[in-house]
Formats: sequence, C-alpha cells, structure tokens
Amino acid sequence: MDFNEKRIPIIKIRDYLIVSIQVDMHDRLALQLQTQILEEIYRTGSKGVLIDISTLEMVDSFIGRVLSGMASMAAIMDAAVVIVGMQPAVAITLVELGLEMPGVDTALNMELGMEMLERRLNKA
Amino acid sequence: MESNTEIKNAKTRIEHIEDVLSSVAAGDLDIRIESDIEDDLTGIEQAINLLIDDLTHELKKSIKMKEDMEDKLHKIQDQQKTILQQQEDLMELSSPVSKVWDNILILPVIGTLDSQRTQIMMENLLQKIVTTGCTTAILDITGVPTVDTQVANHLLKTVTAARLLGAECIVSGISPAIAQTIVHLGINLSQILTKATLQDAMIYSMKKNEQLVDGKVKTNYIEQDDNK
Amino acid sequence: MLEIVSDKSWELLEKCPIHNEYDIVKARQIVREFAKREGMGIVDQTRITTAVSELFRNMFSYASGGEVLIEKGIVEGKPTLIITCIDKGPGIDNIELAMTDGYTSGGGMGYGLPGAKRLVDRFEIYSELNKGTTVRVMKWK
Repeated sequence: MDFNEKRIPIIKIRDYLIVSIQVDMHDRLALQLQTQILEEIYRTGSKGVLIDISTLEMVDSFIGRVLSGMASMAAIMDAAVVIVGMQPAVAITLVELGLEMPGVDTALNMELGMEMLERRLNKA
Repeated sequence: MESNTEIKNAKTRIEHIEDVLSSVAAGDLDIRIESDIEDDLTGIEQAINLLIDDLTHELKKSIKMKEDMEDKLHKIQDQQKTILQQQEDLMELSSPVSKVWDNILILPVIGTLDSQRTQIMMENLLQKIVTTGCTTAILDITGVPTVDTQVANHLLKTVTAARLLGAECIVSGISPAIAQTIVHLGINLSQILTKATLQDAMIYSMKKNEQLVDGKVKTNYIEQDDNK
Repeated sequence: MLEIVSDKSWELLEKCPIHNEYDIVKARQIVREFAKREGMGIVDQTRITTAVSELFRNMFSYASGGEVLIEKGIVEGKPTLIITCIDKGPGIDNIELAMTDGYTSGGGMGYGLPGAKRLVDRFEIYSELNKGTTVRVMKWK
C-alpha cells in the first residue's frame, strides 16, 4: 500500500516555503503534510509559508480544518501561512459548508501571496 | 376447346403473377405485371397491378408524413436550443462586469434579483476576481429596487467567498427600502463592508490601492472588459 | 434494516466499496465524474463531491467502511444523481443532535452532516444503533 504513498514536495525559495498541493488528498496525507510543513518551518527557520491550492478541486471540512490548523500552529512557531489560488467553486462550497476559516490569510495568486508575506515580515 | 399452347401460356402467366406477388412481398413496389394478351386473366392482372399501385401510394404517403414530422421535430428542437441560449445570454448581459483601474472590479447590477440570477452573478464575479487578480470588487446594487432573504443571503455568500479567495467585496448603492428589508428580516450584514454610493466605494478602493502602490497614484485610464 | 430503498426506475451507475482511504479518494473522483457527465456546472460538481466526501469519511471513521451506491433517476421531474452510503457501523445515537451545527463527537470533528445537507438538494438519513447507518443524498442539475 505504501508504494502509492505520495509526499507533497516543499520547496524553499528565499525565506519562504512553498507547497503546491496537486493531488486529491486523503485525510492521512493531509495530516502528514501538516506535520511536514511544521517540521520544515522548524528546520529552516522560515517565517512564511505559501500553500498553493490552485489545482485543488475540492476542500471539505477535514481538509479545511487541516489548513486552518496549519495556519494557527505555524503562527505559534512565528511563521505566517498564506493560502493562495483557491478556486471559486471551492470558496463557494466552503462558505455553504459553514467553514469560513477566520484568521487564515488568503491571496488570489502566488505573486500577491508573496507581497502579503513581504508586508507582514517587513512590519515585524 | 383450349389448345396446349394456350394452357402453357396461362401457366406461364400465372407463374409470372406469382413472381410479381413474391417480389412485392419482398419489398419491390415498382414491379408490375406485364401482359399484352387480352383474356380472362387480364382482369386479375390489372386488379393486382392496381392493388400494388394503391399500396405504393399509401406507403409513400406514410414515409412523407414521417419525414415531415421528423423535420418539424428538428425545427422545434433547434428553436428550443435558441431559446435556451438566448435566456443564458440575457442572464449574462444583465450582469456585465467591468474592470476599472488596475485592481478594482465593478459589477453594476440592474433590475430585480432572483435567486438564480444572483447565483450566476456570484459565480461570474468570483471567477472574474480570480482571472483578473483584482483584490477589490464593488457590487453596486443602485439599480436593484428590493431584495428578499434568499438574495440577501447570496450577496452575503458572495462577499464571504470573495474574502476566502483573497479579495474584498464591497456592496454599494443600498436603497433605503433594501436597508429596511435587511434589518426587518434580521439578516446580519455586519460582515459586509457597505457604502452608500458607487462613488464612495470607488474612493475607498482607490485609497486602498494607493496604500498598496506606496503612494503612487496610477494614471487615469479605464479598461472596459465586457464579459463573455 | 434499510428503510431507504432504491426506486426501481433508477439506473445503477456504480457500486463503490469503502474500505480504506484510497477507496474514499477514488469514490470521490467517480462521483465528480458522474456529476460532470450529468451536465452539472462546476460549482454543483464541487458541492456534491464535497458532500459525499463528508459521508465517506463518516463511514470510514465511525463504521470502518461500507458501500456506496451511485444511481441516477428522475426525481421531482428532474434528472438526478443519487448517492447512497450504507454502513454496518455503530449507528448514530441522536440523529437530530448530529444534524445540528457545532455538534462534535469523538475527536471533536462531528459528523459533517449539516454541512453536507446544505450542499445537496435532498438528504435522507436512517440509523439504528449497533445495526448501521444509511445516508442518501441527491443532486439535480
């Protein structure tokens, strides 16, 4: 069963970690990713993480909670998380699900996401 | 007294009649009995030919009727397609989205909003926000006389979804009537930023923009973007 | 124990067993594919896929798996996609409570049922303690 197990790559660009989620995640993979990202933050001392979900066609309550959980946990480790590229259909569905993810920063695309992180880190 | 040749002729002609009848049964409606002898058999031969004529006539009539009906059916189906398409176009036309300045999307809404139209409007606006990368959108409802609970909730949904995407959606042009309705219906719009007029919303957005471009005001141009 | 039965006029599109996480992902994709084939717009496709994802998770987390029936038929005069999730798990003690927003059980996650209900056009649930749970959702174009 494990030969099918994918690890989502985390890339470091300048001071930021960039994670691009391109697979339909099952719950276990999502939790694994959460742990991975926090470990990378710890390992690299990075202050910002950009999570690209532009190819994610569905975010349900579990994935939504994993993403917002990630933001809170990273904040405790003094790192900011910005979720970029959410698809309109996903946004609408999340609102209808009642999962509004307060306290989670989002940006329309990678460029705007980076600008957001820059502003945040420059102010600090 | 009949001679042998006459009997042989009669046999041949009867066989011919049988052949023709078999052919008709097999589907050949063009075949007719040929004969150039006038005698007792002629009556039967002519009667059979007439019968085949009638059959052919009826069948051709049937086929033509079927073709006509299929034609009519296709025409009706085409008309239906056109009507559906026109309805869709009308829906789209009634909610044009234009882009003004670099970072602000304006959606002027005119006319009565029903649940379906509001849904379409919401999807269009959100899609436009993503494709243009505008972080501010203004939903101007100056041209909307009233809203009901469903529509108000859809508007609320639109603003919340826009925030999830990473954009801010401002609602402007709320009439006194709508304001009263909203309060009476107990709808909580505290999550939405509202401005009295489109102008106010524009000024707010442009000020926001100025902050983003470090005090540099962008040049005065307006880009019209008719939606598809 | 099934109080929810399939209408004879419905067409069975697919039967998916849910035994592990990969089955969940696969079943989700199959549902989306059928929704696409039925001509649903992208938002409706996402709604139904998200709704069933919640249901599949329930089956897997609370009942260690089950079976999913994907059917199509005419409901209220409209072509409808019907997804039925059947498990033989512990059942839900208080369905009414489980259907309220903010209800949590076990690991603080809740059943995700009220959210799923908002995303679909029709929602039916039947559960019997120690026998199992059946949830059926419908989405029409």
